[in-house]
Amino acid sequence: MGKKTVLALLIALFILPFGYLGTLSLASEWRFPNLLPVAWTVEHWTSMGSGGGNWAFSALTSLTLASTVGVLSTGIGFLTARYLSAHPKRPLWLLLAYLPYAFSPVIYAHCLKFFFNVSDLSGTLSGVLLAQFILTYPFAILLFFNHFDQSLRAMEDLTYTLGGTPREAFWRVLVPVSQSALLVCFFQIFLISWFDYGLSSVIGLGQVRTLTIALYQYIGEANQYVAALASCLVCLPPLVLLWLNQRFVFRQSTI
Amino acid sequence: MHFLEVKNIKKSFGAIPVLKGITLGLDARQTLAVLGRSGCGKTTLLKIIAGLLDGVGEVFLEKTNVAHLPPQQRGIVYLYQEALLFPHLSVFENVAFGLRLRKLPNTEIQNRTESMLVDLGLIEHVSKMPPTLSGGQKQRVAFGRALIVQPKLLLLDEPFGALDVETRAQMQQLYKRVATVQGITSIFVTHDLKEALLMGDQWGYMEHGNLDVFHSLETFSSDLRTGVRSEIDFWKKL
Repeated sequence: MGKKTVLALLIALFILPFGYLGTLSLASEWRFPNLLPVAWTVEHWTSMGSGGGNWAFSALTSLTLASTVGVLSTGIGFLTARYLSAHPKRPLWLLLAYLPYAFSPVIYAHCLKFFFNVSDLSGTLSGVLLAQFILTYPFAILLFFNHFDQSLRAMEDLTYTLGGTPREAFWRVLVPVSQSALLVCFFQIFLISWFDYGLSSVIGLGQVRTLTIALYQYIGEANQYVAALASCLVCLPPLVLLWLNQRFVFRQSTI
Repeated sequence: MHFLEVKNIKKSFGAIPVLKGITLGLDARQTLAVLGRSGCGKTTLLKIIAGLLDGVGEVFLEKTNVAHLPPQQRGIVYLYQEALLFPHLSVFENVAFGLRLRKLPNTEIQNRTESMLVDLGLIEHVSKMPPTLSGGQKQRVAFGRALIVQPKLLLLDEPFGALDVETRAQMQQLYKRVATVQGITSIFVTHDLKEALLMGDQWGYMEHGNLDVFHSLETFSSDLRTGVRSEIDFWKKL
């Protein structure tokens, strides 16, 4: 089998799920053994445009959550990792950062639920945001922990001896040098938040209707055509991020 | 009083003493070449003088005690074994970095940087990015970046240690020329005997956290610990 055939197969394998979901979202009747839908409709998509299914609100909720959690966890995780990586008790902090991942997100959410109930944060957008931050913040720390190596510290020190203040060393050296790592971290956290179901459902109590929650709801209702539409919407931002990642971050890191 | 006076510098890491009261004096436009094995405390000494590490003792530069000043106010530039060029900046911007920190006018930055690049034979690489440069070119850019801010004191921590023999020899000559022309005062740390002999106007030997300074080549050579005698004997026996 030639390289081109293998490549074509791989591309087909990659495109197939998205193609299937797109087709299913445009179908009004599609039953076995028909290879294609018997009847087509754009009703699901147009109802989304007219606000029939609160799609726009769900998408906006997910986008707000993922972007905010991505920015917060990446930024604060970057600063924390910078501090902890030089700490004398570095191994202990590293171990603690792994701790939230000892449980599944749903169990973790149930452990946190009491505190969210007490603080009246359950069922609110800020509650879900905080819960996702608690989960993704250690992830960012873990991602940046080894980024702050001796070489980066030496660059920072060099900036000081060249006359730079800590603020200048941070903004003119640390941040630009870490640009790729920061973007990769943001993308990953964005995706974790975007696809999160466990925390959002347990802490959000069904009142914070993210796109993923809506998707599971349609799957639960056995509304496969609308669920396919929701899946398309869920997949869209990660695909855009994947494209941005390949186009900008990967290219930069290979210069 | 000397241009640089270092008085009784001590440093311990936990219970282990690394520097046991280092004292030295260095006149302006002189290079003190410090020879010593790995782990003898050379880097720690330089970092304390630069203000990058805390330590006990005093550092006088032009009669001012700078021991309590942060590194950016000391006028001392520390050069590492690695060039440590900023990967997101071009050769020009790397060299101009210190001038940009000082917020000088653009025309002055342009003129001074170009002049430095010409002096270091780097003008044709002005817009290149660091990963595309050779080891010697990177080290020259690092020199340019340090020298352009006209530091009072330059600390060189085995700056040519990562270079091949030929490039190392070229860089030694380049440094000697630039140091003479620009009147640089420096401490040059190395574990290479020949390099110490070539670079220094006076020499130091560091061992177990103590530094002995020799003001003449004769006294430095006659001390058996420096290895000069055994090196001469080796070549005589060939």
